[in-house]
Amino acid sequence: MSILVVDDSSDSRALIKVLLKEKGYSDIILAESAAKGLEFLMTQTAEGRCKVDLILMDLVMPDMDGIEACLKLKQDEMLKDIPIIMVTASAEVENLDRAFAAGAIDFITKPLKKIELLARVRSVLKLKSEMDGRKAREEELRRLTSLDGLTGIANRRWFDEFVDAAWRQGMRNKQVISLLMLDIDCFKFFNDNYGHQAGDECLKSVARAIQSVVSGPFELAARYGGEEFAIVLASSNLKNAAEVGERARLAVESLNIPHSHSPVGACITVSVGAASVVPSMETTSKELIKAADDALYSAKQNGRNRVCTYDINNK
Amino acid sequence: MKARVKVDQELADLIPGFMDNRQSDISCLTTALQQGDFETIRVIGHTLKGIGGGYGFSAITDIGAAIEQAAKEQDIPKASRLTEALKNYLENVEIVYE
Repeated sequence: MSILVVDDSSDSRALIKVLLKEKGYSDIILAESAAKGLEFLMTQTAEGRCKVDLILMDLVMPDMDGIEACLKLKQDEMLKDIPIIMVTASAEVENLDRAFAAGAIDFITKPLKKIELLARVRSVLKLKSEMDGRKAREEELRRLTSLDGLTGIANRRWFDEFVDAAWRQGMRNKQVISLLMLDIDCFKFFNDNYGHQAGDECLKSVARAIQSVVSGPFELAARYGGEEFAIVLASSNLKNAAEVGERARLAVESLNIPHSHSPVGACITVSVGAASVVPSMETTSKELIKAADDALYSAKQNGRNRVCTYDINNK
Repeated sequence: MKARVKVDQELADLIPGFMDNRQSDISCLTTALQQGDFETIRVIGHTLKGIGGGYGFSAITDIGAAIEQAAKEQDIPKASRLTEALKNYLENVEIVYE
């Protein structure tokens, strides 16, 4: 449990620290101004995590006061869930009103009473820990509902959500989005020859290979269904998409999974269809998927283990 | 008159520093009173109000609140009397740790 104490009075800081330490809260960080406190928190978020569980914030401070600091914290995505207890010597209704409006969860009046301080800190920390637990469960649930159980990459549901979001954003920014459909060549023969367990292992390896060619928040690799995979590139044109498709094709080929009944070659390969479009009111994402499917069909017709493209805007 | 104050044993290490800070407050108050600097007087009064009772010195909280009020009312004689009262209190207080 880590507690940040922001107070301009050194006597207040020292007192709070001693009282909390005595109760067993060992990780107490002291800041002599709101600016210093925010600076500490920002350094933590810059490292990607914030370990502070509670902030005790003095209300009246020179320069930036507790209310202003509270408002700033509530605007930060990573910091907004840290509970803030306002500490104030002026328990005027107007001040408390402002403190709660700014997002404080509770308040303690000065002069501090040890029992009150500890009771409020304990109850807010308990709430925080329950909130953290709930968030972790929600994250786990989200993971379970959006990942494919076998391969561990995004499932169809996440794919649909991602395409929808990319479509809307593309429409707003008039930006091209690309879609690749990938299909394992003659997978039925593989299953018939090696069995379904080998088939599952093959799907997992192919999924990993396809996943390895995407990166960043604008790209998603997903299992579309059966032995079909998809890659969404939310800000790439057809030329880039074809390059990504070729990298995926090579990545799968270099897995070197033996496939003795394939008419294409000695190992597992994929055919890839790529399509691009600038989303508009006149088209839908279904047309993009259809176009990528058509390109995939061409790749199959032209001998498999290759990438074909389909440009909707320049038919 | 000796005022006896009970202070938590766990705060014993903080008391010397606390007392030093009150001496600085008194010199700041004295200067501010001479200059008619009500803002400084008010801030010190507010701080005293906030911390006194937390350490066990509820009298310091009371005097602080009165100083803050006197500053708001721009009442120099009253603020001077209160500063004097704070000084006397600090000179005569007897601390018992328990």
